[in-house]
Amino acid sequence: MTDHIVAEVSEIEDGERILVELKGREVGVFYLDGEYYAFANWCAHQGGPWCEGTLTGTFEGEFNRETLETRLNWVKEGKILNCPWHGWEYDIKTGTCLSRRSVKLPSYPVRVEDGKIIVTL
Amino acid sequence: MANERNLSLKKETIIDTDVHLQVKPDEIAKWVDEPFKSIMTKGHIGNPLPDSGWDRSMAGKIEKRQITGPEDIHEKLCEEFHIDHPIINSFGKLGKASMSRLAVALMKGYNDLVLQKYLDDYPHFYGLITVAMQDPEAAAEEIYRMADEKQYIGVFIDNTGPNPPLGDPRYDVVYRAAEDKGLPVSYHAYDSGFIVDFPRQNAGVESFFAVHVLTHPYAHFLTMTSLFEHGVPEKFPDLKFIFLEGGVTWLPYMMYRLNKVHSIRRFDAPMLTKTPEEYIKDQFYISTQPVGEPNNQEDMRKIMEVIGFDRMMFSSDYPHFDFDHPEGLEKFLRVNIPAKDRKKVLSGNAKEVYGI
Ligand code: FES
Repeated sequence: MTDHIVAEVSEIEDGERILVELKGREVGVFYLDGEYYAFANWCAHQGGPWCEGTLTGTFEGEFNRETLETRLNWVKEGKILNCPWHGWEYDIKTGTCLSRRSVKLPSYPVRVEDGKIIVTL
Repeated sequence: MANERNLSLKKETIIDTDVHLQVKPDEIAKWVDEPFKSIMTKGHIGNPLPDSGWDRSMAGKIEKRQITGPEDIHEKLCEEFHIDHPIINSFGKLGKASMSRLAVALMKGYNDLVLQKYLDDYPHFYGLITVAMQDPEAAAEEIYRMADEKQYIGVFIDNTGPNPPLGDPRYDVVYRAAEDKGLPVSYHAYDSGFIVDFPRQNAGVESFFAVHVLTHPYAHFLTMTSLFEHGVPEKFPDLKFIFLEGGVTWLPYMMYRLNKVHSIRRFDAPMLTKTPEEYIKDQFYISTQPVGEPNNQEDMRKIMEVIGFDRMMFSSDYPHFDFDHPEGLEKFLRVNIPAKDRKKVLSGNAKEVYGI
């Protein structure tokens, strides 16, 4: 395990990301709502470059059994990453795939020291 | 050898999950009020429930088999086939009735008929409550009206004809009623519905061979897809869904295709919180007949293993021309799969699902 300085904090705006190469691996580093997240750029589906996908919201369903009312709510705007190859959706805060809850993308620890973003891998 | 086989069949408990009746218009007419009684009997041409007219008699090449009374079921299925519990379903043409008022009247009449003519005197028979999806509120009421009859153990839906397809929220009231009463819902396609679901194609094929091959898988594909599109299994997590008379081999294809498309387009079916496969392996069942016939039997064993022996329930579909004799299926299961799995398919799963 090695610490890698990947950027200065000023280099990633909120809701933005950078792609870096660490130990021969492509890693995406995201800054969202004041937190940093780092993932391997490798989609669990067929290996697509998921870190390069669009950040959008998505639909979540809600059902009231009493009234039989079904509601589709658009939620998590800017927090869902869509793999550019086939659109698998991932929750950026956990790396969990929304359609396959058992699929979680490998993440790496990130911390900030002296204004520098450090990924350990 | 024949005796030996019969012996093995006799020893097994067998529940037949797909048994049909022939109910002619003048018989059902006795169970409905006016004006529906007259509609059913005084038409000038044909039957008020449209039929596609295709030949099911095999041009007279096979024996004529009919079930027109409970004694037919008892003699043929219980005594000759050693079926311990036949589950009677099917008022198959209900989905085709063009007037929903007529469909509702026939639904009630049919359920009364089955109860009084078939179930009351034969305590080892069971039945499914037929519902007219043309009027979901009335269908739900019918479930509440009949569900406390102990021999009614499930709900029956003809799935060729209903429009929109059966996952649509307008039907939730029916699913809620079934779940409230702890009854599984069964779907069954009818070849006579081909003329409704495939109007152009019906005119484009030349034989009942083509109609029959296509109707059952198509109706099940559409129904299952619609259920997932609208998240019905998520909305009603205690409800069980049964697909009758489509055989078994269609299921892996649909299960994996639904998985694939769901993963890509989850936001189009956002009620789902699991993969379609997870719902299927928990809430969905299929009846075995007409069990597909690979040239190499070994292939069928592999497909059944993929589906899982918890998901399949024996059915004969007697008296239709492609019925499966229990002896044939029992022998296949006896030779190819472990005894505990065989028992699940012959009766264990049906006991669990229907609470028999
Ligand atoms: S590779 Fe990512 S969705 Fe297919």
